[in-house]
Amino acid sequence: MHPILANQERLAIYMLAWLIFGGMLAAVLALPNDFLWTESLALAVPLTVLYGAICLSSWYLCRVFPLHKTGYAQLLLLYVIAGLLTSSLWILIGNGWTLLLERLSLFAPLNARFIAKTPLFVGVGFILFTLTVAVHYLIITFEATKVVEQRELQSRILAQEAELKALRAQINPHFLFNSLNSISALTTQNPAAARTMTLRLADFLRRSLRVGAQEFIRLEEEISLTLNFLEIEQIRFGSRLGVEQMINEPCTNCLVPPLILQPLVENAIHHGIAQLVDGGTIRLQAEWSGSVLRIRLENPIDTDRPRSRRSGFGLENIRKRLKAIYDTDADLRTEEKDGCFTAELSLPAQTSRAFSSRHRADNGSGLRDVSNN
Amino acid sequence: MRRIRSIIVDDEELARSIVHEFLTPHSDIEIIAECSNGFEAVKAITELKPDLVFLDIQMPKLNGFEVLELVDKNLSVVFVTAYDQYAVKAFEVHAVDYLLKPFTKERFDEALERARQKVARNESFPLSEVVADARAPDVPLERVLVRDGSRVHVIPVDKIDYVEAQDDYIAIRFEGKTHLKQQRLSVLESSLDRKRFVRIHRSFILNVERLARIELYAKDSRMAILKDGTKLPVSRAGYEKLKGLL
Repeated sequence: MHPILANQERLAIYMLAWLIFGGMLAAVLALPNDFLWTESLALAVPLTVLYGAICLSSWYLCRVFPLHKTGYAQLLLLYVIAGLLTSSLWILIGNGWTLLLERLSLFAPLNARFIAKTPLFVGVGFILFTLTVAVHYLIITFEATKVVEQRELQSRILAQEAELKALRAQINPHFLFNSLNSISALTTQNPAAARTMTLRLADFLRRSLRVGAQEFIRLEEEISLTLNFLEIEQIRFGSRLGVEQMINEPCTNCLVPPLILQPLVENAIHHGIAQLVDGGTIRLQAEWSGSVLRIRLENPIDTDRPRSRRSGFGLENIRKRLKAIYDTDADLRTEEKDGCFTAELSLPAQTSRAFSSRHRADNGSGLRDVSNN
Repeated sequence: MRRIRSIIVDDEELARSIVHEFLTPHSDIEIIAECSNGFEAVKAITELKPDLVFLDIQMPKLNGFEVLELVDKNLSVVFVTAYDQYAVKAFEVHAVDYLLKPFTKERFDEALERARQKVARNESFPLSEVVADARAPDVPLERVLVRDGSRVHVIPVDKIDYVEAQDDYIAIRFEGKTHLKQQRLSVLESSLDRKRFVRIHRSFILNVERLARIELYAKDSRMAILKDGTKLPVSRAGYEKLKGLL
């Protein structure tokens, strides 16, 4: 879209400017007494306005040869040739216009006097053409800045939304309200246990808020948070919930996105243990194989339960996060077999941040591409 | 004075205990059973016929609504739930008593008082309206629950061959067996997946996957032949529906 033609307000200002140029040109012609005022106005104003319309086409040149990507010599040559050609075209049209005015015999013969002024017209035409080019470049730069600002704003909004969603996901309402109900029940029956549970809940919430603000945390910390969560659920479910862990020692130093396991354990409780009369055991394993960190979570499920009620939105969320952070280098696989649900997370095994920052950069540009489309 | 016989249903022991504790000062309430899952609840409600049930929604085996679907409705119910956005909206609309965990003693006593009045008026529970509103939208039924005495049968819908209306009951045929359930055929029809189950006749719903062919008997009179050879009548409207689907 042409930035001036597409915008009525800009077009009006632009054409008004050319009307003023036309008036000025008429004055230049009339003042040395070569032309009468009426003659010079009839000659200069329509020609200048028409020339203004022709100069609009210079935008296409500006678009093909952007200011920063074209050499100065090339630009100079380009616009000298284009300016001379355009003003020559203008002279031709002016020639036709004066002949037409003569034919209508409204004025004394004009054409000869116009031809005498050709150098003036070529000079003015050239200057006005380059002026229009400058205006077009200005508009292009101005609009580009606006687009960049908009993109930045949009990506900031997206980032904030993601943060809010993460916060909301951390505090699962089922977990929170059921835990508070357990505390309420314990206060009369077993005040010490009520206090223990309150403190564990506070600890869990505080820690998940803290790590949620970080890009990566050590697996050790992530697992300790997961166990913290399961301890709280153990008070709620009593003997129905068992927990086993097999963590390969070297893995604990690997870096993982914070709370990446949280949706998995919540699913294991909500869709697994909570649906079984006698409960079961949740198994958490982590091992380092080659360059891959594998974290596996297993829980029993009720096979009679309708399929659609079994999987949560949590898994989809994890996949989106992995894609954003690691692109195709990470994976979440789930399997359901013989009454056992397994979720296996494969991440690049990394203990330093070098890798992560590279991916963050990729991710950043990816985000901008999205907002551009 | 006759005491109000009550049952507490919740899969979490602590959650049951707080209801128990809050009920203790009310001498007119007698707790006759505590159940930790849906099957136990159906059995207890069927056998003990309580006046009042404190019912959790999220439970193993059967949820609170499925329990109510399977038992006599002339009892008073107070739902107890931690978080369930659809259900709570339905409770508000139909003036059903509910408690959101955790709840205060005052809030509990209020709900109990309203339940007492309902017991006194012998009001039955408006189940079908509440269940229809409480279900998450656009989720077709995945299993049909049938009670046989105090036992519960769970029939996954893809095992059903067809369902036949018989007076006040529906007969569900699956794997060569028949189970009767007290429900109207139209109620079942509305909750089944319309792409898989078709009302082929006033009295029949057919699982489309079981259909072998359709035969023309007389003008406007057709028979659906199932893969096991069973013949079912097909009405003109039913034939149109089948044609639209196949």
